[in-house]
Amino acid sequence: MSDDDQVKMDAIVVGGGPAGLSAAYAMAKAGLEVMLVERGETCGSKNVGGLVYGTVLNKLIPNFFEKAPIERPVSRRTLVFLGEGEHVSMNFGADEWSRPPFNNTFVVHRSQFDRWYSKQAEAAGANLIEGMVVEDLVYEGSNGGRKAVGVKLRGDEEFRADVVVLADGANCLVSEKARADLGLKPGLVKQEYAIGVKEILGLPRGTIEDRFNLDPHEGVAIDFFGTPFEGLVGGGFLYTAKDSIHLGFAARIESLTHAGLSPNEVMDVLKAHPVVRKYIRGAELLEYSAHMIPEGGYNAVTELHGNGVMITGDAAGFVNMSIYKEGTNHAMESGVCAAETAIEAKKRGDFSAQGLAGYRDRLNQGVVMKDLKKYRKVSEVLEGSPDLLSLYPKKVNRLMIDLFTVGSQTKSETQKRAIKAFLTGLPKFRAIRDLIRARHLA
Amino acid sequence: MTPDEKLSLADKLYRTKYEPDPGHPHVTVDAASLKKAKTRKILKACPAGVYTKDPNDPEKVAVSHENCLECGTCRQAGADEGVEWKQPDGGKGVKYRYG
Repeated sequence: MSDDDQVKMDAIVVGGGPAGLSAAYAMAKAGLEVMLVERGETCGSKNVGGLVYGTVLNKLIPNFFEKAPIERPVSRRTLVFLGEGEHVSMNFGADEWSRPPFNNTFVVHRSQFDRWYSKQAEAAGANLIEGMVVEDLVYEGSNGGRKAVGVKLRGDEEFRADVVVLADGANCLVSEKARADLGLKPGLVKQEYAIGVKEILGLPRGTIEDRFNLDPHEGVAIDFFGTPFEGLVGGGFLYTAKDSIHLGFAARIESLTHAGLSPNEVMDVLKAHPVVRKYIRGAELLEYSAHMIPEGGYNAVTELHGNGVMITGDAAGFVNMSIYKEGTNHAMESGVCAAETAIEAKKRGDFSAQGLAGYRDRLNQGVVMKDLKKYRKVSEVLEGSPDLLSLYPKKVNRLMIDLFTVGSQTKSETQKRAIKAFLTGLPKFRAIRDLIRARHLA
Repeated sequence: MTPDEKLSLADKLYRTKYEPDPGHPHVTVDAASLKKAKTRKILKACPAGVYTKDPNDPEKVAVSHENCLECGTCRQAGADEGVEWKQPDGGKGVKYRYG
């Protein structure tokens, strides 16, 4: 093909997840010629998640939850501290969360949800190229003047564009290469990854609603802490879908290898815990999945734009690993920021790093970077104070059980013993230090 | 049939859909790098148990690439153990129905 025949797009998006689809949707809506390349057979087929946060999507597609394949909104949240046999939990919810906009929190099957989103981007005018692998970017120029001018597909076919939006997810081979090839500044620290493992467990709808005390249009999201994750930097989760349950956990890869545990072993320990076992009783396993999560946070974010390139979503490391654990909305926001920057760059005809600097400014002014910055110490706190996730939950469990164990002694004695047991083995100074540090997680 | 509470990893992987691509492994382990490495983290770290000890050669690992869930954990855990990864061909590999 000669250069004259070659179709040149305004923008090419690599990856059809929340970040890439948001970028493609917003650019197509604004009239740009957009192509999105997805390596899966369809968008979503390589994607794993559970909760989608809808703040950004609701601006792009108002009331999207009326049309999208939503399993259930999250009308209740539960934090459970698991001990060996004992447990303490905190439950909170609001009637308001069962009504639009449902607290912007939804349980979805990401494979189905992302596919739906891709159809919306297509309807907005984006060209979806599915089942194709982007191996690399195509460059022109050298050294500081090196500029991305398109993508190279496996089999050596090339597509050209003024700008490439990279949204290739957590295991971002294309973004990694582009960072090196364009000399983008690294983050303050290396990116850290957790591995998330999940089982989709099928149960009749009525059983789920009875078991979890839900109305038909309600759902619950449970976070688990404690013994199943002893020695790990991580925790578990359970989300109710319509007629299935998402049950899984995520833990730092380094903590898993250090503990010599395999992800499936941890999964089975979680499933066998008395609290969890009863939630999933009689369920049929429908799917077992695994996906990485970038957890380095603010300090691991690299320079995210270069000549002809912007990096978004998980590939950029936009996950908030505090108690809030949000990623999809940050992915979508970064996709929209990239889209707005590309639209502006097209008007000015400048797709150089300087011309795309608005991407960084938009990210800084938005929620993404502000939230990431607020929680920039999460990573170091979790690594430096492993007791936060194991010893303290255990202690709280013990305290509650001891306080409420009915015996023949007086209540004064019961309480005295319970508090004494609570303090035994609690390193005072470290506990105070850990408690002070814990504020970084909330 | 095994009750679902007691599924082995192989049983679990059987429930996940794949588009197989026989004869085209997208993950391999470089024997020289593996030999140099003091650790074998990939044996445990992979959630799909793709890497197992080679029964014929204790210095090598066998790679069941067809079970790969494409998470990339081995690239992180086994950076020094010779893991070489490229994405499977378009549309091949794991195909999540739920995700």
